Amino acid sequence: MEIFHLVLRNLLARPVRSLLTLLGVLIATSSMVLFLSFGEGLRRSLFQELSRVGPAIQVVPEGTEGLGFGTYPEITPAQLQALEEAGQALGVRALVPTLFLSRGGFDPQTSFFFQGLPRGVGPDLLYPGVRAKEGRLVPTAEGAVVGGKVAKRSQLALESPLRLSPQVTLRVEGILEESGGLADNLIFVPLEALQRVLGTQNFSAVLVALSPGQKAEEVARNLEKAVPGLKAQTTGDVMRFAERALRISDLVRFGISLVALIVGGLLVANTVMMSVYERTREFGVMRALGARRGFIFRLVVLEALFLALLGGTLGLALGGMVSYAINLYTFAQVGLALSAVTPRLALFSLLVALSLGLFAGLLPAYNASRIPVVEALGRV
Amino acid sequence: MLRAENLTKRYRQGEKEVVALAGFTYAFPLGATAVVGPSGSGKTTLLNLLAGFDLPTEGGVFLEETPLHRLPEDARAEVRLKRMGFVFQQWNLIPTLTAWENVAFPLLLAGIPPKARRERALELLERVGLEARASHLPSRLSGGEQQRVALARALALDPPILFADEPTGNLDADSREQVASLLFEAGRERTLILVTHDLELAARAERILHLKGGRLAREEVLRPTR
Repeated sequence: MEIFHLVLRNLLARPVRSLLTLLGVLIATSSMVLFLSFGEGLRRSLFQELSRVGPAIQVVPEGTEGLGFGTYPEITPAQLQALEEAGQALGVRALVPTLFLSRGGFDPQTSFFFQGLPRGVGPDLLYPGVRAKEGRLVPTAEGAVVGGKVAKRSQLALESPLRLSPQVTLRVEGILEESGGLADNLIFVPLEALQRVLGTQNFSAVLVALSPGQKAEEVARNLEKAVPGLKAQTTGDVMRFAERALRISDLVRFGISLVALIVGGLLVANTVMMSVYERTREFGVMRALGARRGFIFRLVVLEALFLALLGGTLGLALGGMVSYAINLYTFAQVGLALSAVTPRLALFSLLVALSLGLFAGLLPAYNASRIPVVEALGRV
Repeated sequence: MLRAENLTKRYRQGEKEVVALAGFTYAFPLGATAVVGPSGSGKTTLLNLLAGFDLPTEGGVFLEETPLHRLPEDARAEVRLKRMGFVFQQWNLIPTLTAWENVAFPLLLAGIPPKARRERALELLERVGLEARASHLPSRLSGGEQQRVALARALALDPPILFADEPTGNLDADSREQVASLLFEAGRERTLILVTHDLELAARAERILHLKGGRLAREEVLRPTR
């Protein structure tokens, strides 16, 4: 019988109340884990993807820094020409103008993402490692190369028609092997075809492939100087931008889950306060027998910490299981694991749960340790 | 030796001041001293002050030469743990602990290792005739059995001073006799301070202190002091 044994005995003596409190903490922690796991999942998928992207620099219109994916085409042919001249002078390997178009709604089943590539350029230049499973890897002026997952999901085969607009219809000329990356969900089409659909001569972004030994940061800054109004971002810039955006979204999601956490904390505080109130006489007896104030304080705080830690651990396990289930779904739908319970998230959740228990237990513990012995024993 | 000097306790009840104990002076020798008196005579207040549960308004309590009333709260708790044992009228066992765990509780506070704690608790339960009930929770024990467990707990650290506050007040005749015998046997080599209404029980002590209106009215010596 140690102090922990006393804690356990007391919690087991009031099983329904302890269980309900445990459930409260469990739900609060699991919802927090789940909310934050989306940030972790996105972070992981994004960085895996970015680290596979070939071009070291993406040039996008100023003010649209980030991924450049889906931004309105604002880079003019004149700016492209200026970039090409500057690029030649700097000795870059290649400049690839590109254009993005999305069609459909939020449902991944009915959404299509098109990326326009210049003539003669295949998706393997942008997404190293992708290979054609069927047909061509580089589309002709009338054709499209479809990512593995899109083809499966939309039942596209070679020669299937792809209607981009009433005027522009392409035919599937190649289907890519599934690589587990972003390319699985894209349809690569000729740049001119997308420009016709959008009624523009502009581009969304220009991707720059560097020659061996070139420093991305240096080239990016020189390109920006050469062509005002454009922002040349390196993969590192994109990662930093994405990390900043994800941090903000983490904070927002943590803020939302804070509501559940506060409710969980109040539950623990309520249970411990009730328990202290009911056991006033018991604490008085302990003090009369020679227990120091610190002993009573520890006893009550440990009770709150135990509830919070057990609830937190079970909540983490539940959050992990739901996250796994979500990943099974999103992987089947878009080929990405959107949720991840990383070790740092697990540690953070347990620390939050423990802090919750500590804060919920401090006041009742302080009160319990300060009850005068004569009052506690009813000997006034 | 436990000594009270001019021990006085005054309470404020609204506008009125109540004197619960006034100028009590006495040195408790080895052996049993019963404290008797009608309700409101100051018996409980006296025990609260002697045990350090409460502090006097005036005067002091000295254990050997240590002024108990001047010690901080935790130091008084330490004195109670190491030097005093308590048997209350309400038994006051910890309801979530078994009989032996209750007896072992002061040993836990004193930092005795688990194995030694269990051995000592079982030995004491055997002494009060409850070894077979060692694993029972207080709710499964009768009043007399609970009081015997409380007595075993009071003796756990072999304290030189034993306080008993109406120890037989809630017991039937058989249990009363059993608990009284055990109590006086334990008090033989200790300073036993027994607060009671029961004059028959008090008569088994070596001295009786009669309290009246918060004052020591009379000391009655029944047997010579050892």
